[in-house]
Amino acid sequence: MRKSLAAMAVVAGALVAFQGQAEFRFPMPEFESGYEYPPMNTPQASRIPVPIDVSVLTVALGLTTYAVLVARSRRLVFVLSVASLVYFGFYRQGCVCPVGSVQNVFEMLLGRSTGLPVVVVFFFLLPLVFALYFGRVFCGAVCPLGAAQEMCAVYPVQVPRAVESVLGLVPYAYLGLAGLAVATGSGYLICRYDPFVGFFRRGGSFSMLMVGGALLVVGIFIARPYCRYLCPYGVLLRWASRFSKWHASVTPAECTQCRLCEDACPYAAIIYPTPANAPVSRREGARKLGILLAATPLIIAAGGLAGYGLSNTLARLHPTVRLAERLGAEETGRAADGTPIKVSLEVETFQAGQKTADELYAEAGAAASQFKPLAVVFGAFLGLVVSGRLLRLSVVRQRKDYEADRASCLSCARCFDYCPVEKKG
Amino acid sequence: MVDSVDKMKERQARFKVRPVARNAALTVAVVAGAFSAVVATLLIANYVQIRLAAPLDAPALIELRQEIIKSPAATPELVEQIETLDLLARKAYLTSQGHIRTGVWLLVAGAAVFLAALRLAAAFKPRVPLPDAAPARESFWQARRNARRLIGGAGAAFAAAAFLAAWFTDLRIPTASLAPPRFIAPAPQVTPPDWETVQQNWPSFRGPGSYGVAWHTTAPSEWDAASGKNIKWKVEIPLPGRNSPVVWGNRVFLTGATENQRELFAFDADTGQTVWRFMPDGVPGAAPPQLAEDTGYAPSTMVAHGSQVFAIFPTGDVVGCGYDGNLFWQKNLGLPDNYYGHSSSLLAYGNLLLVQYDQAKGGKLIALDIYDGHEVWSARRQYISWSSPACIPSPFGPQLILNSEKNVDAYDPVSGKLLWQVKCLDGDVAPSPAYGGGRIFVANEYVTATALILGGTEDAPSAQVAWEWDEALPDVSSPVGDGLYFYVATSMGYVVCLEAASGKTMWHQEFEEGFYSSPVVVGDRVFVSDKAGVTHVFKTGREFVLVADSDLGEPIFATPAFLDKRIYIRTEKQLWCVAAQDDS
Repeated sequence: MRKSLAAMAVVAGALVAFQGQAEFRFPMPEFESGYEYPPMNTPQASRIPVPIDVSVLTVALGLTTYAVLVARSRRLVFVLSVASLVYFGFYRQGCVCPVGSVQNVFEMLLGRSTGLPVVVVFFFLLPLVFALYFGRVFCGAVCPLGAAQEMCAVYPVQVPRAVESVLGLVPYAYLGLAGLAVATGSGYLICRYDPFVGFFRRGGSFSMLMVGGALLVVGIFIARPYCRYLCPYGVLLRWASRFSKWHASVTPAECTQCRLCEDACPYAAIIYPTPANAPVSRREGARKLGILLAATPLIIAAGGLAGYGLSNTLARLHPTVRLAERLGAEETGRAADGTPIKVSLEVETFQAGQKTADELYAEAGAAASQFKPLAVVFGAFLGLVVSGRLLRLSVVRQRKDYEADRASCLSCARCFDYCPVEKKG
Repeated sequence: MVDSVDKMKERQARFKVRPVARNAALTVAVVAGAFSAVVATLLIANYVQIRLAAPLDAPALIELRQEIIKSPAATPELVEQIETLDLLARKAYLTSQGHIRTGVWLLVAGAAVFLAALRLAAAFKPRVPLPDAAPARESFWQARRNARRLIGGAGAAFAAAAFLAAWFTDLRIPTASLAPPRFIAPAPQVTPPDWETVQQNWPSFRGPGSYGVAWHTTAPSEWDAASGKNIKWKVEIPLPGRNSPVVWGNRVFLTGATENQRELFAFDADTGQTVWRFMPDGVPGAAPPQLAEDTGYAPSTMVAHGSQVFAIFPTGDVVGCGYDGNLFWQKNLGLPDNYYGHSSSLLAYGNLLLVQYDQAKGGKLIALDIYDGHEVWSARRQYISWSSPACIPSPFGPQLILNSEKNVDAYDPVSGKLLWQVKCLDGDVAPSPAYGGGRIFVANEYVTATALILGGTEDAPSAQVAWEWDEALPDVSSPVGDGLYFYVATSMGYVVCLEAASGKTMWHQEFEEGFYSSPVVVGDRVFVSDKAGVTHVFKTGREFVLVADSDLGEPIFATPAFLDKRIYIRTEKQLWCVAAQDDS
């Protein structure tokens, strides 16, 4: 109770300057009195030195690791979440964040940029390194997006595992799309569609504020929807966390199979012991697994083909392609019936510039053509993911204990209170 | 297992239910949640309302603007109504912005209280780990089977969606602009005429360079339509228009248009016979423009440039023809956002056709290639205007001078680079700049007329305000300079002479009729035609000396063209050739 009050007080205090409102464009009035508008000033960029940012991140990750693995304290994890929300969220306004840094790394790997800022390197690598050793402690109490959702996860309900499994494919698709967008010069999708950055920055587009608000409201019942079903960085953390040497465990010692933790995890990240009565024989299971393995290249190829089919749709990710289509539609609209259609703001802005329509169309055509091969890669990647997920569901490891799923456990420490086993020594 | 009773009690305490506290917290949560929901709903409704009804697109405002366009004479009262309505709309908008900010604060506070109370309620009734009491869930194997099926289904759905997208989705990127230059045959790439050749003709509005100074000084001073004195010929113009005649070689060119018809005309300069007529129809992108009655459908003067002539219409159509009327190219620049109608005239420089395409939004100075019409460069223009460009031979090289609603801008005619800009205009600017003696003179009704003295260096030319003057001002007719004096003719019938060096008023003369046509300096005389059809000729200089008044009996709105011993005058319905009888 005390921690809840304290958390809310701190967060409310951090929201003192909140003025979230949708943006409007309004033409300036023209004064006959000769009134001169004051010059517009661009605010100075943040002057927080990189070492401080990186140090705070490292300390936060270290403290979370301690809280999860050593102290096993849900209270401490919650306090750290609040602190991260305040610092990385409202103070640093959600940027630089590891979630978006994926795109910077993609850009460098694809040769589309000449370098990577040091702070981005650290923000990208540190959570992954910690995940490799200690599990997803970044998600537990450091990520501001996760922390915002954690505040709202009050009455979490269990999502059926099958549904969880399917929805868990979306982050892979999002990661693939983000990579595709970077590879084609379509911009940073993850940053553009960050649902919570509007709150952190006290302003944003109406639609994104609505989406962020909706996610938080949904998050009251379905805990951390962005983390579980959208976050592309979570894909990398999953992969790293699978190999973690030390990871949060439900029980501090040996599991007694008391079942008290079955409903403890709102993220469906506790793996139950394997029942003895498998529905099919081992031989039959192996045969089916063999078929699935043989079908994997076909699934990947089908994915690639599907990606190719989507290439035109995906090409609309590119702003030049969208603008060219809009300009073409408006030119057609005028020529078709002689009645001028309302010119959009984007086309007006373009027509006020130096570029001609023909140049724009040529650029858009070139931009759209690069989507075809990359969409095939994207589709094949999704095919690989689907195939991998099916294979994982077809391979059964015998477990006798209740264990945290290393890939999907967010190291939130909610399950600790449910385990009656005491720590030895 | 639990080691001690104390530890067991401690563990049990974590799941202790506190019903009273819980109910209180829940009540607060419900109230705060409802409050937040109401505030959020109101904020969303407010936002939607503002999006649907943009303040400056209020139907009443649009209606009033359309009224002004239809009847410009009623402007002052309508303008006041519009200003009042505009102010009210902006006030309402800014007030609603304040409401939104207040609402957001309330929403944040409500949401914070809601979440805090909800968490407290959850803390006061924690979920006790009772696995047997949990709702029945699918079995381990069933969950896996369902997951495999769902994933397979999702994959199939993705493939189906991709198939549908491939079938039905096509990128609609045109391969070329739908309003391209239409070639019949590209114009032969002959060398464009040089300045000396240009000066010897009357290639554009207000003559060579478009600043109202004739190269030929031998035009007759006097003529009379009734008696036929010095009238060489006259011919009826088939379509109306207020653009001025241009002359190149032995051809006189002008345009005429109605709502549904636009034509270019070429007349024989010696006989007045129609040599050819060209109707540029079917230009891709052409659409009916929004116009004021005074503007008409053919307000912009053509430009003749050696072997080619060019015309522009308020639809945005630009046409490039050969001297003999064969079409080379035509294109549409896009319907101009111009509430009175585009009326700026064309100008040619070297191998460029210069279009002052000023609009309410998205205005540009465009340079088109004279041979095939493609855009060579364009420079963004911020304000609307109805004046025409002038190309002056400044001490630092040729400069393209353009007036706009606020500024006088100078551009490099070759590159389109903005050389300098002086803010000294206001209102609906229709008069074009005058030039003489190293000074530029601009004037418009309701604003101070300004003389700018050119300066700077060849690499960085500039202009400074030399003097200002605010007595009789024009709203249509463009002033003219002879190097020592500037002459202004107004719609109210005044003609004023100002000393170019100081701005001192030398003389002013009032005539019975006002002037739309612009005065022209022809040697030591100034010709200016009034709306009744009388052309007044007076001497240049510090004293008003009337030389002659010549009446054609028809209104004159266009500016005459002055060649060697001839004048070509467009009246409301006819084209006249004035020449001294002994030189006919």
